[in-house]
Amino acid sequence: MIYWSIKTLFSEPMRLMVSALAVAVSFILVIFFSAVFEGESDQIVAYLKKMDTDIWVMQKGVSNMHMASSMLWDWKADKIEKLPEVKEVSAILFLNGPIKIGGKDWFAYIIGLSPKYQRGGPWDMFKGKAIPGPGEAVIPEVINRLTGVTIGDEIIMLDRPLKVVGLTRGTFSMASSVVFVSHEDLGDLVEAPDQYSYIMVNAKPGVSTQSLIKNIKNEVDKVNVLSNEDFIKSDWTLAVQMGAEILRMMTTIGTLLATLIVAFTAYSLIARKKQELAVAKALGFSNGSIYLAALCQSVVITGLGLLLSLLLSYTVIIWLPLVIPQLNLTVRLHHFIPLAIIALPVAVVASLIAANTVARVDPMTVFKG
Amino acid sequence: MTIKTILEANNLTKSFGSGTSEVHAVDNVSLKIKRGELVLIMGPSGSGKTTLLSMLGALLDPTSGNVVIDDKNISTMTNTGLAALRAKKIGFVFQAFNLLEALTVEENILFPAQLNTGGILAAKARLDKLLDRIGLTNRRHALPNTLSGGEKQRVAIARALINQPPIILADEPTGNLDSHKGQEVMMILHDIARDDGCAVLMVTHDPRVEEIADRVLWLEDGAIRDRKSEQHSWVYDPVCGMRIDEWTATISKEYKNQKYVFCSQRCLERFDDDPERYMTKSM
Repeated sequence: MIYWSIKTLFSEPMRLMVSALAVAVSFILVIFFSAVFEGESDQIVAYLKKMDTDIWVMQKGVSNMHMASSMLWDWKADKIEKLPEVKEVSAILFLNGPIKIGGKDWFAYIIGLSPKYQRGGPWDMFKGKAIPGPGEAVIPEVINRLTGVTIGDEIIMLDRPLKVVGLTRGTFSMASSVVFVSHEDLGDLVEAPDQYSYIMVNAKPGVSTQSLIKNIKNEVDKVNVLSNEDFIKSDWTLAVQMGAEILRMMTTIGTLLATLIVAFTAYSLIARKKQELAVAKALGFSNGSIYLAALCQSVVITGLGLLLSLLLSYTVIIWLPLVIPQLNLTVRLHHFIPLAIIALPVAVVASLIAANTVARVDPMTVFKG
Repeated sequence: MTIKTILEANNLTKSFGSGTSEVHAVDNVSLKIKRGELVLIMGPSGSGKTTLLSMLGALLDPTSGNVVIDDKNISTMTNTGLAALRAKKIGFVFQAFNLLEALTVEENILFPAQLNTGGILAAKARLDKLLDRIGLTNRRHALPNTLSGGEKQRVAIARALINQPPIILADEPTGNLDSHKGQEVMMILHDIARDDGCAVLMVTHDPRVEEIADRVLWLEDGAIRDRKSEQHSWVYDPVCGMRIDEWTATISKEYKNQKYVFCSQRCLERFDDDPERYMTKSM
């Protein structure tokens, strides 16, 4: 019966391909949500990664940049800079807030850059000036592509108009793009002209990060000090946690969709072959062996769907950001593991509907000419 | 030497519905069929022929009475036991051929062999002989949709024989064939009874088979009765010219106020293609 089920399945390759594609689409949906989510999560920590610092200093009780607020007096940066183990210090003022660009609000990481420090600014310029002065802003080039707003145009930070002077690469995210402004403008806006949010510290060669963290904590009051790795990890975990529920929901929907598609396909295959199943029953095949054949068909369809989803995912994920620039997609192998795990139960559950049909096939129908 | 009874029905009854709407499709039928016998079940449409065949083939439970196959009373057997019994003891030949579309001639014939002792491997030697016997050796890799009706039915017969069952149950095996192909199929079934010692039980409307049958059981209103010769009403199929008993014929058509009777669906289809041609011929 299994041979019959496989041969029957492959005797209609177009139908099989359409079924496998339908399953693949539902799996791709799950992969796509994961890829978007992971891409966005990666982008959320892109700024931190690109700063390539050893240590981050922030307000006590704060351990994130994403969705966080931190305020430090400017003298704290000076104090840290004077520590003997410190090679270099840079500080930024930071605000998580909306910026109106091209008539639309974009939720952004607004980084206030002080001319006093060399680091903290854009790492990949597309066009224009990298460090904005008062009244100026540097925005992601993806926003320029989406809105048409370019160098020389005006944007609004809260209630303050700023002129775009530069476009950056690798700074766009649907959740929080990075926009650079001057420390003076941002400090004035948040009424903290003599404060910073985060201080980046680089240790002198030979100084261990952990000992410097300890020293900073001892020397400077009311600060939290994290290594670069810990700070990135903390932000990434927060970003993932925030979307985990949505992701789980989407995965469930995608899985249910895949189950429904496989069930429908397996059922329609079985329903179309009712007469042949009646013949098999009349010839002496048991319900069990016929059900096994139906299950086998479900497994093949699901397996092919999974395989197609792997192939198509990589194709789509390479191609999609070219068409939709605002998408940050990241596909990792671990996205496929849950799908591979759920594929078999999907096939089994889907074939239950077909099994019901199998059980009800009346072998007497073989006599209907 | 006594020839063994292989199939026996004792007071077999099958009723559908209940109370005032109860219908006896088969009513108290008893029969015995021996190895090597070719027995026909004939009768008007709705007389219970297929219902009787289904019960004898262990596909339908009787309301009362019992069926004994190769000395085993099947009424006490489980569904699994009945399925195993069908696989080993009964070969089925259907009017609609019922070949499996995706499988080749060879695979169709071997299909039930996986249920028999020794499986497909043991059946392969028999396969070559059967293909030779039905004259389809050179078409062993063909798919059913490339075969003619007669070829399909020969494949179905080979499939029925692959497990060497002692009983062959055939339901209108020539119903979808023209007279020439029908004749071929009949002769194969006749040889199966004579040469292989199978008991062949056949439901048919084809009166020509009577000539080669050992016995004819006349079923009417679910019961076996004597058929009176005056009940024959011989007419001729306008397409193939075959003589048909109008009284028992199942395929007919009214055309220009005249009733035409056909030996098979195929002849009816030919008639439908060009009725005028056959009307002229039949006049």
